[in-house]
Order: sequence, then structure tokens, then C-alpha cells
Amino acid sequence: MTTAGAAPRGARRPSAGLRHSTTSKRQSRFNYIFISGYTLLLIAFGLLPTLYALFLAFTRNGAFVGVDNFLRVFADYRFLPAVLHVALYIVYWLISLTVVVVLLALVVHALRARWASSLSRFLFYIPGAIAGASSVMLWLFVLDPTVSPVSGLLHAMGYESLVRVVSIDNLPIVFTIIAFWTGAGGWIVIQYGALNNIDTEIMEAARIDGAGAVKTAWYIQLPMMTKWISYMGIMSLAAGTQLFVEPRVLSQATRGVVPEDYSLNQLAYLYAFRQGDFSGSAAISIVLLAVALLLSTVFIFRGRLFESD
Amino acid sequence: MTDRSQARRRSATTPRQWVTKILIFALLAGFAVFFVLPIVWLLIAPTKGGRELMFEAPFAFGSLDQFAANWQALFAFQDGVFLTWLGNSTLYSFGALVLTLIVSIPAGYALALGDFRGRKLLLMTTLIVMLIPNTALVLPIFLELSALRLIGTPLSVILPFAFFPFGVYLTYIYFSTAVSKDLLNAARMDGAGELRVFAQVAMPLATPVIALVGFFNFVGNWNNYFLPFLMVGGQKVPVQVGLANMLSNVPQFNPTTAASTVIELPTLALATLLSVLPVLIIFLFSQRFLVEGMTAGGTKG
Amino acid sequence: MSQQPSSARRGARLLAGAASAATGLLLLSGCTGGPSAEMNSDYGFATAEQVADSPITVWVDSSREPAVKAFTEAYPDVPLEYEVYDGNAGGSGTFQTKISLMDQAGEGWPDVVFSTQQNDAIWASQETNGLQAFAAPLNKGFMDEEFLDGFAAGSLDYSTIDGTVYGLRNDLAQNVTYYNQRLLDEFGYEVPTTWEEYGELGDKLAAEHPGYILGSLGDSFMTYVYYGGSESPVFQADGTEFSSDVEDPNTVAITEILDGMLENGTLVQDSFFGAEFAEKYADKLVAVPGPVWYTGAIFQGALGVPAGEIGVSAPLHWEGGEIETGNVGGGIWYASSHTKNLDAVEQFLEFATSAPEFQVEASSGYPANTEAAKGWLAKLAETGYFVNEDFEQVMADAAGQIWDGWSVTKWSPESAWATVVIPGIAEGETIESLLPVWKEELDNEATVNGYTVK
Repeated sequence: MTTAGAAPRGARRPSAGLRHSTTSKRQSRFNYIFISGYTLLLIAFGLLPTLYALFLAFTRNGAFVGVDNFLRVFADYRFLPAVLHVALYIVYWLISLTVVVVLLALVVHALRARWASSLSRFLFYIPGAIAGASSVMLWLFVLDPTVSPVSGLLHAMGYESLVRVVSIDNLPIVFTIIAFWTGAGGWIVIQYGALNNIDTEIMEAARIDGAGAVKTAWYIQLPMMTKWISYMGIMSLAAGTQLFVEPRVLSQATRGVVPEDYSLNQLAYLYAFRQGDFSGSAAISIVLLAVALLLSTVFIFRGRLFESD
Repeated sequence: MTDRSQARRRSATTPRQWVTKILIFALLAGFAVFFVLPIVWLLIAPTKGGRELMFEAPFAFGSLDQFAANWQALFAFQDGVFLTWLGNSTLYSFGALVLTLIVSIPAGYALALGDFRGRKLLLMTTLIVMLIPNTALVLPIFLELSALRLIGTPLSVILPFAFFPFGVYLTYIYFSTAVSKDLLNAARMDGAGELRVFAQVAMPLATPVIALVGFFNFVGNWNNYFLPFLMVGGQKVPVQVGLANMLSNVPQFNPTTAASTVIELPTLALATLLSVLPVLIIFLFSQRFLVEGMTAGGTKG
Repeated sequence: MSQQPSSARRGARLLAGAASAATGLLLLSGCTGGPSAEMNSDYGFATAEQVADSPITVWVDSSREPAVKAFTEAYPDVPLEYEVYDGNAGGSGTFQTKISLMDQAGEGWPDVVFSTQQNDAIWASQETNGLQAFAAPLNKGFMDEEFLDGFAAGSLDYSTIDGTVYGLRNDLAQNVTYYNQRLLDEFGYEVPTTWEEYGELGDKLAAEHPGYILGSLGDSFMTYVYYGGSESPVFQADGTEFSSDVEDPNTVAITEILDGMLENGTLVQDSFFGAEFAEKYADKLVAVPGPVWYTGAIFQGALGVPAGEIGVSAPLHWEGGEIETGNVGGGIWYASSHTKNLDAVEQFLEFATSAPEFQVEASSGYPANTEAAKGWLAKLAETGYFVNEDFEQVMADAAGQIWDGWSVTKWSPESAWATVVIPGIAEGETIESLLPVWKEELDNEATVNGYTVK
């Protein structure tokens, strides 16, 4: 470590061009060291498994079968409803997330009282600690009109039992609310951080030019947040297509009123572990991946995510 | 924000601005209630008995005696296995956290500020892998770990947890928006080696993102159900899997199993509360880093 | 994706490397699926190489943990490790999920597994990708014929595939008729013995004492109580053929009775375990057909009815017909065909299913083993909970009267009931109007699970 730090001292004099090339060579060598640990894990737990899934999706018991697995899955009567369920949920989820999170982040950032700003971020974030099974357990209580803390509200909306609340038409909204409750706070914190990174001078200049809070947000803050918003979009899309824990736990707790094949990922799970059909399961996953990739490109190119500036 | 601008604004408070203020307050308060209400309920539920939970006002406090009874019921369950679960969760989450930070922060740094062959490929792969559903990855990961004879050991959970593409991306975006190459080049001009540039220039600027990545990783690991569910069993399961095992002893959710061990709903609520408490506490203590954070960078512009 | 040719080349190289590694992974998993060892004619399956005194691993749910503890106390020399899991509870599929991963890996199986579900033998008796089925055949020489005969008639049916027994029943859940003697006396009613009388009692009760009830349809296991118990051929599988007859006279008749009782309010829609059932109906439940575990879970537990009020009588049946009843649950023990210590496994299975240390002293379910059941009933008799003295006979008889026309299949009949019937009646529809939809859902599920629908 010390030698690496000491070496360049001697190399100070040579011409700029030469120096530059050795530096970048050394730099790139270090870059490889920096990424090596992650790359190993990526190959072991990301890339290899993905390739294996690809292999499974096009084979059956080791023999290549072309797109047979896909056709079989598409013909399954549960497939199309699951697609529609997930699609609807993602639409609700992404819209609520981008609009509300960005709005709240802007509002919180504009608060002048520091305590109010940090208090609201804190309060918004707390549910982030309760994810996965625990959060669904909690929502199980909240959604059941007989024990719910908001039972008055549920009764006022005409719901008398858990079964009615989680009827299949309500589910996309129910899942959006659960996901928003656990996930939005974290994103608000991240977007707030992004807003903080915008140079105060630019903001001040805009203010002096007479731009109001809304105009500043629209013309200055939002464009500078695009990378972060796209990032949020991709991550949420990934999470959204993989909807699994929520319907699964709800399904177990309502003894099947929420169907156990509600989402695509649940269907993939049933294929693999109930029907012993790992190929069909992989086919569903590949379809999910393809759709998520397609949608993500929109975010990537609109959000210029890959540019290293 | 400077004093001058604040003064200027305050003097110009008009009725319209008052309306805006009230609207903003209502907006924030509304969402605060939405986010916090269920948690308050969760804090109160373990102070009640099963029947009180059903029939008393949702936010009425039960009694400390009842809380003690629920507490005892929880820790009597399988001779206090709940503590073992918490210990397992701690081991898995912290083990993975350390590994994650060691590999993710340098990787995100190199991806954002370095220029090397394979950079875009690595970013692209990271992204694709983040999008692929977990169900597809589980079987191959299981096979790999089984080939290495790791199934049932803590490493079978820690290693996959330590792979955290989300964190690499977060670091990457942070470095590429908040730290400029010029700053690093200036350090290099002064003769700093690559490791020193990373350790002494980039790392101090990165504290907020380290805190953020660390926290998200920890929370994600702590709350992960699916992976440890498949990789470990029995005494080795973390608390989330343990919770699901408890759920199967709640007659309301699982009536037909002739269970002699019965868990009451308030006990389950207490278990849920305790299972998230460590994360809540860590959040409380690190929230200055997390929430105030992300401001340290800012050499850009 | 990349403008630099060099990076593309590097990418290709990386991909190639990864692909070859993935192939390695395949080979690794593939080689485990090779032809299995030779059939051992003493046992009826290919046994693994035996290692004397090698520890056996047992998976139980927490209610069956006492079985393991009692065993280690009785046989401290037998090396045993155990893991408590969720017992494969309601739709979690933990058992199958984990075994299918271990099958893929070719190692790591537990030696004995307890499952709270009834249908695991269907998959556990099947080879997967050329690998020997997980569950060991028990009646081909592994376990004593005499011991297997000691289980209540028909109690091993669920774990028997084509004449081979793959699992030992832990507890039975035969239906009987529970009644509240105090209320019957007060109103001057007789205990119903047939489905027809049950329906008529509903009409009388609704007219004379509105507010009192004869049961609930709010739980998904009611499909076993009312349709399984009334010999309605709604859920029949023969090999991989599935049929669901909703036009059968029994199906139609029971549906008519249930619709009538829903309408007059003697059947409610609250779950027995739900929030309000105990509050509203603790002292309003006059008579109800249900499995024997209602004693502890419902009457003594949720409703808290004191001793000396409740009695049990023979299961409801059709007028002029034989007594046949339904079944709601009951766990099953499985042995692994991959075990390296068959002797210890046999010893454990015998102990867990028949030894009074567990089945009588520490088990809440009605033991499937007949001898153990006698001890269990005698212990229940000591508590003096029931008003009728012949309750032991009633329960023991019912244990052998479970109707064999209701099958177990790869999936649970409860889910179709829960998705179609429960929400349907909550919307105010009649069960009769839901029958076609229910059948369609059952047929769909059958098709997906690889059955042909007749």
C-alpha cells in the first residue's frame, strides 16, 4: 500500500503524455482490483444462475426443446390473469411512486424549518424497517375490518370482512398501498439526498431571477434528478414484476381467497416447487426478465443512466 | 439558505402563502399518519390479550401484566428459540453487511470514476441480474452452494446476501453525480497513488453513501425470507423464517393441524415487533447519517 | 450497448467463460440424477449404503417436537438430530420445496419428516428426473405388517399409492356431531342424526329461536365437513383422472340443505377462528358436525364452553344410508428412502405413531394407531368434559367410517372453496348458483396439476 502511494513521486517529471498513459494504465489496473470482489459475487450469484435459468428455459430434462416451455406456460389458464394482475399493479405502483415520492421529496426539501424536514423524513422512513413477511403480517391486521386500527374507514367504505377487502379487484391497490408504505420512505430519503446535491448557487440564482418554488422545481430540480428518478423506476419495476411475498402471505392467511397463483412470480414458484417443472418456471422468469428489461431501457435512455460524466 | 433570504421571505407572507403553507402541512401530516399509524398500533397490540385485541378500541393501551404474559408466552415457545432466531439474523445480516461494503463501495467507485474495458458490460450485467426474478436464481444458487457443501451453514446465507447489485448501483450513481474526476485527478497530480486517492479522497466523501448502502443491505438481509428459508433449517433459521413457523401455530391462520402449541395473536404481534426492533433501533441511531447525509459530496457544478 | 470493439470482445470472452462454468454446474447436478442403486428386495426399494449408528435427521412442526423429545428420552443411544419447521402448514409447501432442491442437488435429505398435510405421498412417491422417490415404501418389508395393521381402518389410504404405503398417519380427524345438551334440553330438541334432520332442525331453530346457530361456512375446510361428509363425489381422483360431479343427488341435496340454512341464518359465515365468532356465538351453537379436534380447538379453546354441556354423537349421514363421514386434516410421518440408518428410522416411526409417551401424553390429535387411540380416549374420559358416556365409542367408530370417495390430490380442495364459494356467499349468492363455477375451478386446477378431467 505504501509503495503504491510512493511510486508516483519519482515519475513526476516526465512529459505529460507519457505520464498520462502510465497513470491510466495503473488506474485501470486498480480499477480491476476494485471491481474484482464484486465481479466474483456477480458471476457466482448473478450471472451463472441467470445463464442456468436461460438453459433451463429452453430445455427439458436436459434436451433442447426450443420454445416449447414458453408455449406450455402461455397456454396455462393461470398465465394471462397473472400477467394482467402484475401489469395493473406495476402501473399503480410506478405512478404513485414517481409522482408522490418526487413531490414529497421536493416539499420536504423546501421546508425551511430543519426539524420539520428531518422529522418528516424520519417518520416517512420508519416503515422501511418493516419489510417482507413482517410488513404483510402487519397489513393483515390493518386490512381486517374486525381488528383494524382504521376499521372505521373500512366500514365506511362498505367492507365488513377481510375477504371483501382483499377481493381480487382490490388487490392491485392493496399491494400498491403495502409496497408504498414500506418502500416510499427510503426513496424519499434518496431523492432528498439527490436534491441536496444540487448546487445551492444555482438555486439561489433561480430565486433571484424571480422563479417561484414550483418553477424552480420544474426547470431546475427535476431535470437534475432524472438519473435518480430513472434509478428508482428501474428498481421499483424490478421489485414490482417480482411481486411474491405479499400475495403469498395473504394467500396463506386468507386460506386461498387471495389465489396462490395471483402473480407471475408465484406462478413460477408453483411450477418449480409444486409441479416439479423447473423448466416451465425458468421460462416464466425469462419472460418476466424480458419485459422488465424492455421497460427499463425506457428509463435508462431517458435517464442517461450509463453516462459517466 | 441564508438569513437574508429567509428574512426577505418572511416579510412577504401573503394570504396565498398561508394557504400554501397549510396545504403543505396537511400533505405532510397526512402522509406521516399513513406511515406511522400501523406502527403505533403494532407497539400497542402486545399489551393486550387475544380478546382485547379484537374488541377494544384499536389504540387503547392494554396492560403491562398482559404484556408480560405475552412476553413469557413468546420466550416459552420452543424453549426460547426466538432468541436463537434473533442471533442468527444478527450473524447473517452483519456478516453479509461487512462483505457487501468491502466489495460494493470500491466497485461502485471504479464504475463511476474509472475508465476501463468491460465497464459498461459490468453495469449492464448488474442491471439485468437485478431484474431477474429470485425464483429463477434460487435453484442454481442452491446447486452451487450444495456442491461446495455449504447448505445449512451460515455461509450459505451470507455469501448470496453479500451480492448486492443495488448497493453497487447506488454507489455508482452517487460517485458519478457527487464526486468529480477533476478532484481525483488533482490528488493524482499531487502524487497520490490510486489506493490513496480512493482511501483518502473518495472514501471521506462517500460516508453518506456507505451509510445508505450499509443500511439498505442490512435491512434487506434482515427481512429476507426466501433465501434463508431454502438454505438453512431448524435452529439455524433467522427470525423472518421463524415468524412464518410461528404463524403455522396460530389457529386463526392454520386451523386443521391439531396443534398442541398455540400462539395467540398478540404474541405474534409481539414477535413481529421484536423482529423489526433491531432495524428500527439502528435506524434511529444512524438516521443522522442517512437522512442528513448525501450532502457531504458536492464538489460538482 | 458498447461502442468500443475491445469491450465487446472482452464481454464475449467473459460470457463464454461464464457459459462454460454454467455447463459445469449442469454436469454437477446432472451426475446426481444417474441410475440409482440396485433394488433391495428386503425393503422393496433401493436402499442407500447403511452406516451403523449414523445420526438421523427428523423434521417436525413445533406441536410434534414432544415426540422427538420423548424418543430421545426413551432411546438415548439412538443418535438423532431434529429441525423444527413450519410443518408444511397450509399451502406453504415447505416440505416439497426443500426436497425438490435436495433432489436436484442429490444430497442433504432428512431421514424422517412430519407433514401436517395429507397429500404429500403423491409427489413423494414419484421419481424425479431418474432419482429414486423421496418417500420409502413402508409395507414392502421395511415395517412390520402387523404394526401397519394396528392403524385404524382406512387411515393409511391417503399415503397409499397403488397399494404401496408411503407414510404413517399421526392423527385422524374424523367428523362427528357435536351438540350442546343444555341448549337442546332448553329448547326441547333431539340430536340430529341425519343430514335431513340437520336441515329440519335448522328450520325449526330459525323459527323458534332466531339467533342460535348450527355451524358456519366461513372456513375453507367446510368443504370436507359438508361435501366430504355427505358423500358428495365432488372431489374424486383415480390415478391421474379427476372428476367432480356437482349434479350427483347427494351434492344437490346437501347444497339445498346448506342454502336453506344460510338463508334462515342457522349457518353463519364467520370463521370459527375469526374475531367475532366467539363473541357472537359462544353460547349460541346448538349442534354442529365437525372433526374430533373441535373438542380442544373450538369448544374448550375458542368458545370456552365449560365441561358438562357438550356431547358427541355419530356422524350425520343420509336417511337409510350407511354411516360415512368426512375427514379434516391429520398429519403424516414419512421415511426417506435415502436414509443411511434404516433401523433407527423404523424405531423412531414406530415410537412416534404408537408409543403412549407421545400419542397419549403429549399429542392433541386423535391417534391413528388404534391402541394409542384407546389410551388417548381414556385420558379424555378422565377429564369428564362430555355429557355422554359413550363418546369414546362414537369417536372410535367414526375413525373407521371415513368415506373413501373423497380423494387427496396434488392440490387442496380448500382453495377452490375459498376462492369461489366463500366470496360468493358473502356476496349473497346461493351455493347452488355457484356449483358450476366451483366445478370449473376444480377442473381447471386438476388440469394444471396434470390430471385429465372426466
